[in-house]
Formats: sequence, C-alpha cells, structure tokens
Amino acid sequence: MGYFIQQLVNGLTLGSIFGLIAIGYTMVYGILGMVNFAHGDVFMIGGFISVITFLVLGLFGLTWVPFALVCMLIMSMLFTSLHGWAVERIGYRALRNSNRLAPLISAIGMSIFLENYVQLLQGARNKAITRMLAGGFQLLEDSSGFTVQVSYMQVIIIGTTIVLMAGFALMIAKTELGRQQRACEQDMRMARLLGVDVDRTISLTFIMGAALAAVAGMIWLLYYGIVDFYVGFLAGIKAFTAAVLGGVGSLPGAMLGGMLIGLIEVFFSAYFSTQYKDVAAFAILVMVLIFRPTGLLGQPDVEKV
Amino acid sequence: MTAPPLLRVEHLTMRFGGLLAVDDVSFDAADRQITAIIGPNGAGKTTVFNCLTGFYKPTVGRLALNSSEGSEHFLERMDGFRIAQHARVARTFQNIRLFPRMSALENLLVAQHNRLMRASGYTAFGLFGLPVYRHAQAHAVERARYWLDRIGITARADDNAGTLPYGDQRRLEVVRAMCTEPVLLCLDEPAAGLNNRESAELNELLLFIRDEHKIGVLLIEHDMNVVMKISDYIVVLDHGRRISAGTPEQIRNDPAVIRAYLGEEVDEALPAEVARDLGVPATAPRGQP
Amino acid sequence: MAVSEIAVAAGSRLERPFVDILKDAAITGAVTFALALPLVGFQTVDQTTAIVLRTRFPELFYAVAVIFLGRLLMLLTNAGLARPIAAATGALSLLWLANGFFDVFEPPHMVLGWLTWIADTVVALRAALVMRRRQVAAAGYLRSDFGEHVVVMVNRLGGWLAPFVAAFAVALPFLPFADQRVMDIGIAILTYVMLGWGLNVVVGLAGLLDLGYVAFYAVGAYTYALLSTKFGFNFWEALPLAGGMAASFGIMLGFPVLRLRGDYLAIVTLGFGEMIRLILLNWSDLSNGARGIGDIPRPSFFGMPFTPAPPEGVVAFHQYFNLDFAPIHRVIYLYYIILLLALVTNFFTLRIRKLPIGRAWEALREDEVACRALGINPTNTKLTAFAIGATFAGFAGSFFATRQGFISPESFNFLESAIILSIVVLGGMVSQIGVVVAAVVLIGGPEWFRDLSAYRMLAFGALMVAIMVWRPQGLLAHREPTVRLNDPKRAKPS
Repeated sequence: MGYFIQQLVNGLTLGSIFGLIAIGYTMVYGILGMVNFAHGDVFMIGGFISVITFLVLGLFGLTWVPFALVCMLIMSMLFTSLHGWAVERIGYRALRNSNRLAPLISAIGMSIFLENYVQLLQGARNKAITRMLAGGFQLLEDSSGFTVQVSYMQVIIIGTTIVLMAGFALMIAKTELGRQQRACEQDMRMARLLGVDVDRTISLTFIMGAALAAVAGMIWLLYYGIVDFYVGFLAGIKAFTAAVLGGVGSLPGAMLGGMLIGLIEVFFSAYFSTQYKDVAAFAILVMVLIFRPTGLLGQPDVEKV
Repeated sequence: MTAPPLLRVEHLTMRFGGLLAVDDVSFDAADRQITAIIGPNGAGKTTVFNCLTGFYKPTVGRLALNSSEGSEHFLERMDGFRIAQHARVARTFQNIRLFPRMSALENLLVAQHNRLMRASGYTAFGLFGLPVYRHAQAHAVERARYWLDRIGITARADDNAGTLPYGDQRRLEVVRAMCTEPVLLCLDEPAAGLNNRESAELNELLLFIRDEHKIGVLLIEHDMNVVMKISDYIVVLDHGRRISAGTPEQIRNDPAVIRAYLGEEVDEALPAEVARDLGVPATAPRGQP
Repeated sequence: MAVSEIAVAAGSRLERPFVDILKDAAITGAVTFALALPLVGFQTVDQTTAIVLRTRFPELFYAVAVIFLGRLLMLLTNAGLARPIAAATGALSLLWLANGFFDVFEPPHMVLGWLTWIADTVVALRAALVMRRRQVAAAGYLRSDFGEHVVVMVNRLGGWLAPFVAAFAVALPFLPFADQRVMDIGIAILTYVMLGWGLNVVVGLAGLLDLGYVAFYAVGAYTYALLSTKFGFNFWEALPLAGGMAASFGIMLGFPVLRLRGDYLAIVTLGFGEMIRLILLNWSDLSNGARGIGDIPRPSFFGMPFTPAPPEGVVAFHQYFNLDFAPIHRVIYLYYIILLLALVTNFFTLRIRKLPIGRAWEALREDEVACRALGINPTNTKLTAFAIGATFAGFAGSFFATRQGFISPESFNFLESAIILSIVVLGGMVSQIGVVVAAVVLIGGPEWFRDLSAYRMLAFGALMVAIMVWRPQGLLAHREPTVRLNDPKRAKPS
C-alpha cells in the first residue's frame, strides 16, 4: 500500500510536467489544427534557459533559493515564450492556408533545427545542476514498514502546476484574450471579420503554450537535476500522447491526460519493467488513436461533406 | 406486378446528438427520371444525400436500391465506397470536389478505378504492360474522351482540373460521377454559382444523361429554373420533414411549399423574385393556387 | 554605413519613409538579440565537478548585426532600391567567398561567416528577383509564376539528364578517381536514393507522412541478419523474405492507423518507429540488445565469396576471374547490388505511378472524400502504398546489414527517418531526379566535408522549414499527367 502511494506521488509529479507541455499541443491544435512538432523542443529550451539563469545568478552570488527559483521561472518563461513566438512567426505563419502536410513538415524541420541548434551552442552532454532544494517529509508508514517520502520539491512542483493550470483555465474562460482565442478556434475567418486580430491571437497562443512548456522544462531540471538537448523529443511525444488521450483541443483533457500518462509511466516502471516504459507510452498513443481518436474529453468532429 | 422503384427511401431519420436533421422521410426515385429534392436551407437535403452515399449511417430507416438489372442493395448497411462500387450510386458535392492537381482526363480515369484495377490484375499485369491491361486502359481513355467531348472540354483534357473555369469544373464533376457507370446519380446543387448559359448547358447534360444513359438522377437544387424545367418528380423537405411530393405542376401550386419558402408570418402577396423562382403569378395571395 | 548613405541619398525615391524602415529593422534586431541572448550569449561548459558559464558576446553582437542589416536591406529592396542592393550584395557575396579562401577578415566563428554569406546571398537573390519583377511589370506583361517556370525547366532537364546520370553511376567503379572512399560514398548515396524513392511512394504520391520509415529499414536489416546468422540463408535468398517481412509490418501497422487523419498518422508512425527500436534494444534474446548482431555474412557473387583465402572446395571471386585479390572488389560488388536495387525501385515507382493504383494514391492525397464517392477503398489503397514503401525499406535494410556486417538498434533511430524524409522533401516530393540531387547533396556533402557534418542536421532542419515556407508543394514539385489525350506539342486552341 505504501509503495502504491509513493508511486502515486511520483506519478503525479511526472504527470504535472506532461500536463504543462500537453496544454501547448492542445491549444495550437485547437486553433490551427496542426501538431506543433517543435513544442517538445521548446520545452527543452525552457530547461536550458533555466540552467543558464541558474548559472548567471550563481555568478552574482544570488543563490537564496526562493529568489533563485522565482528568477529562473520568470526568465525561463520570458525567453522561452519568445522562442515559441519565433517558431510560429518563421515556420508556420506563411503556411496557414496551405495543404495539411506543409506545416507539419515545417514543424518537423523546426524541431530538428532547434535540437541541433541547442546541441551545437551548448554541447551534447548532460547539463547537471546541484540540487537546489533537498529534504522532504514522511507522509505515512504502512503496516509493512514502507515509508512514503514526499520531497519538498515534489510539493512545489505539484503546487505550482495546480496554480498555473487553474490560473490558465480562468484566463481562457474569463478574459478578452481567452474569448478571442476561443472565437478563432471556432471559426478563424468569422473571427477576423468581427475584428479579432487573428495573427496576434495565434501568436499569443504560441507564447502561452511556450511559457507553460518553459515551466515544465524548469520543473524537469529541478526534479531530475539534469537536462540535455534531446530531452524534448521523448517528453514531447509523451506530452502529445497526453493531449490525445485527454482529447486534442480540450484544456482539461490535456491536464487529465498529462496526469494519466505520468501515472501510467511510473506505475508501469514500478510494477512491470522500466525498459519498456517508453514502449508502453507509445502503445497507449496508438491504442487511443485507434479506439477513441477523440480522447477522453474531446468532442467528436463530424466530417463535413 | 410492377417492378420496385430504383430507390425507395423509407422512414429515413438522422439524428446528430439533440438535432434531428432528417425526420422520418420517405420517398421513391424512379429509374430514367430526374427526381429533385428541394427545400429551404437547413431542410436536411444534403443529410439525405450523405445517408444515401454512406457518409452518414442513418439513425433509422431503409434505403433500398433496385437496379434494372435485378440487383438489390440496402444502402444503410454499406460503407461509403462500397455503395459507389457495388450498388453503383455516384454523387457530386455542393463544394466541387475534383482532384485539382490532376488533369481532367485523370479525374475521369480515377473514376474508373475499380474496373481498371481488375484489368491490371491488381497492378501485377499493369506493371509489365500486359495487353489485357493496355486494352482496358485504352478503353477507359475512350470513355473519358466520350464524356469530355460531351461537355466540350476535350481540348483542355490534359490541364489540371483546378485550372478549368468554374462551370466546366461543375460539369466535369458530373461526368466524373458518370464514369463510374452508376445506376443512380446524385447531384448536390450542381447549378450553384452558374450563370444562365452555364445553367442551360447543365440542364442539357442532365437530360442527356437521363434519356441516353437511362439512369435515375436525384437532384438537390435551389435554382427553381433548373428544378421546374427538368424534374419529373419533386420532393420538398422542410426542417427535416417531407412536406410535399409530386410533379412540378403539383408542387408549384402546393400551399405548404409556398408557406415553407416564405415563412409563417408573411401574409402579403408573394414578392416578385420569389414568385419568379417558384413560377407562380406574382399577385397570387399565399395559399390560393 | 555605406548602404544607409545610399538610402538617405535616394531618400526621395524610397516608397516608404526611411525612418520607418529603420525602426522595423531595429525591432527585428532587438528581437534577434533577445532570442539569441541566453543560448548564444552564454555557453555552459562542462568541467570536472560542475558546469561553468562562459560568455560569447562578440558572436552575439555579430549575429544580431547581420540579421539587422539583412532585414534593413530586404526592406530597402522592397521600397525601391533593388538595383543598387542587388549589385552591392552580389559583389559582397563573391568577396565573402574569396575571403573564405584568403582569410582576410575573420568573423568570430566559422558558422557566423556562413550565416553572413547566406544572409547576403539571399538578399542579393531577392533583390535580383524584385528587380526583374519590376522590369517585367514595366514592360507590360507579367509571368504568372516565375518559380513554376524554372521548376518545369529543371524537371525537363532532369528527364534529359537521367540516362546520363544512370550511365555515370554504372561506369563509376571504372573511372580513375574511384577509390575505396569514393565507392563508399557512392554506396551511401545510393542507399539513401533508394530509401528516398521508396518513401516517395508513401509521402509524395499517397500523401501519407510516415515518420517511422526507418522501422521498416530496421525490420529488413534484422530479418536478414537473423536469417543469415541463425539459419544460414544467403543474401539473395533472404532479400525477398526481408522485403516481405517489412511489408507485413507495414500492413500490420497500417491497417489500424491508416484511417487516421494526416497528422495523427505522422505521430503514430513516429511512435511505431521508436517502439521497434526500443523492442530491438530490450529484447535481447532475439536481437542481442544494444550489443547488436555481428558477423553478418557478406554477399557472394554466384556463390563465390570475396575473401583472400576461401575455405576448401570454394572458389573465391578473384581466383575464378584470375585477378589479384583486392578488397575493393567486394566494395564494387556491393555498389552494383545497391545500384541494381535502386534502379529496380526507380523502375517500379515510375511505372506504378501511371497505373490505376498510382493514380488512386494521388487522388487520395488530393481528396479522400471524393475518392470514397467514386468507389475507391481508401484503407486498402493507402495500405498498398504503405506496404510497397515498406518493402523497399526492407530491401535497403538487408543491404545495409550485409554491407556493414554489424547492426545494432542505434542505427535505426528517428534521426535516420528524419534524414530520409528531408531527402524526399528537399528533393521536391514526387520528383525522382530531385531525390537523387538531394541525396547527393545531403549524404555525399557531409561524407565528403567531414568538418561540416556536425552542422548537417542543423542545415537540414532549416532547409525543411525554408522550403515549406517558400514552396509548400515541394521544391521541384511539378507534375506531368500520367496519361495524355492531346499531343502537348500541338498548340492548344485557346
């Protein structure tokens, strides 16, 4: 029982990361109908910018942990969202009315470019930082004597994720920007005719998605203490799986899907095999797409003939 | 005993979630006749078509197709492509769906795909250029030429379909459907966006198809000029229900139809343009033939 | 700054206020600066205990300056200064190349030198294009699409050149400069040409984006490796089995997923490719895991091996033909095997395009709904494309296994799929000769210039984006109808 709860906590932590990335996929898919293949790499860039911010702060001796964490969060969100914006502006904007294959190939090119860009600029090796926040507390001890440990880091991670997701959901539901975004999602042409600045709305969608991915990248760095240029590939695919599982286009779906994928991966590793955990993630993706392509919370789209 | 009609639609109902798009519609479409389905926008005409051609599975209903050769198919049970392949129901679309980056000729050859696939031994004979395939291919090209001649665009046969003028694209889509050798041809607003001359050319083509190729034609159309001139039988839908059916003469004088087109509130005489569309005297008060 | 002086002098002629242009370029520069600041400006360097930070500000400022000037010149070109800018940047482009040889001026980093040259050349070409367009417009007629015209010319030229290219490929081993290295590069290029042609069936013709193509390559390679090392099959016996195995994997994967929409299909194929790799990596009983399979038999020439000292009772190739033993014989033989396989692929794909199945693929790519209404079974039709593409990958895979003699899962990662896809995309999708050109440039180039190979994938990625933005239908995409009714040479009645 204790082992199970421990895995549950670990799974939710990992799920937070996937959920934050998955929102970016789902939003872009909702508004443009394309898979932003480079989104996983934007997440990776978020991790790298966190490392660099951490080191810059170190140069100035600013290592008080709460301050450093807030700085890293802000810098990483700021610069990563700029990357997200640039990806859309350079790679996708011109292709908005093109055939379906073109933006996807452009996105793959973008992903390959970003991975190699970071590898060449920052080196191919792992970037490891010292643990910023050690320690934790004992949640409970079960009858067999297994103690469930929750680190402070896990608390911060799950807490931050919940706050961010709630704030984000609120923004989409209540603000002018959220309204414009939903309008573009429904019917881009009509939204434009009604005076919505479609380009700006799409740019903001990418910026928000990238900002959340940046948080995920920073969390990844804090949790694992390590980041490399290739980390976005697998994490991106898993987050995409999460978005599909939850129902592409649905924000609560992305969060739910992220949590589920995190839990599945952790439990699969804990009870079956760590070697095949990635295979399990891919298998889920294929299964969902075959048996329930609309995901858990997605709307079925009726083909218009 | 008389033969069953070419198409018998019984109690067709299509429900999308809470929306009842088609509600218990029944009608027949006879062989060698043009049957038109008319009705205001949102009446469920295209949904009927989509059920007939397998793009939607009807919620309730029977769609029986009896070809003159004696075969019988129940379309509600079949996949879309099987309806076209086995029951031989061909259709066109409201928004033209040609293959824009393939030539007009290729569009017509793709329509003969199943026959050519068999002749090419599912590609094996074709790969080595065996005569059996070469003959089939030449035959298919001849059939395509026949139809291209009919609509007068043989000279542009090798141009991409997407570059043809709009009216030619409309008619090319119709003859592409004809290349599948259908027993029932379903046309979804073929005259939409055509000018008077193009519209007249289309009428001529449809009458030619009915009289020379002796098949049934099912037609959705808004343009009353076309409908009244060439239909043998008209079914009127409104809000998913069948409100009337009969010959053009009967429909023209049916108060229910006029009401559906004008709405409940209008009590005055028909506006001139509506009257012209429906073909009734502009001064006739509503409901008085 | 010389250029801005010209601009100011010509200020009255500008079609947009110079201040406006300057502001626009400055914003671009500022955004570039912000983008490049963290990743270019700082470098994380691994040291024994931890990572430390170094700065790269000269590089950062250089890059920002290049982008700023490039944008400025681009805007000035559009505002009516095409002629002087074309001349200036064209000259600079040549000067820069010369500088590359003589090292007069050295940019902070080699890559920045390339960036300068590329940016400058792009500006020059664009200015030339704008100039030409204005002239043509002034002359009173406008060619609808100049690019289209060029593409048609290139394709026509490609048709003429194809036999010469093929003849060159056949003759290559006997040319004086064909040493071991040249032959190895030739083999690598031909392998990718074959893979590109195979993937072209799936991506170019059928319009299905397959990101896991390398999985079928892996299936072919492992099929041959296992059949030969465990059951003693020789290469020619195993080849059809490898192709068949890859095809059945294609069908197995394709059957459930091919009804998915395009982008879902892409992701699923990607997942499938990774799954195959992970299974090969972890299922050690079958595949020997990460250690891979070694000692895979090399192909023999009608039963004659290419070894210096064959076992008793076996005649080696050089003995039968009374030649001195030379390792290059085998390389040449391998070269001809892959050339043969590639030519078969070419013949097959060219031929099948003109058959009903090929037309149905293209029709499906254009409009699936219309295809269903015409009685074409979309799933089966896509499945054949998938299976045929997979078969060629399987053939190429078993060739790869016999050429290397050793395979491991690491040879079949996503990067390989990405390279093959870039060859197809950069080659123009559907264009056979385009694939050859792309493979020569993308595979041959980095093999030849080893120092540049680190930048290869960077350039692939950037080119894929650039080509999609510039010509979404593919670089050399030009389609000849599969069958004609009228003689194209006769003038069309208008």
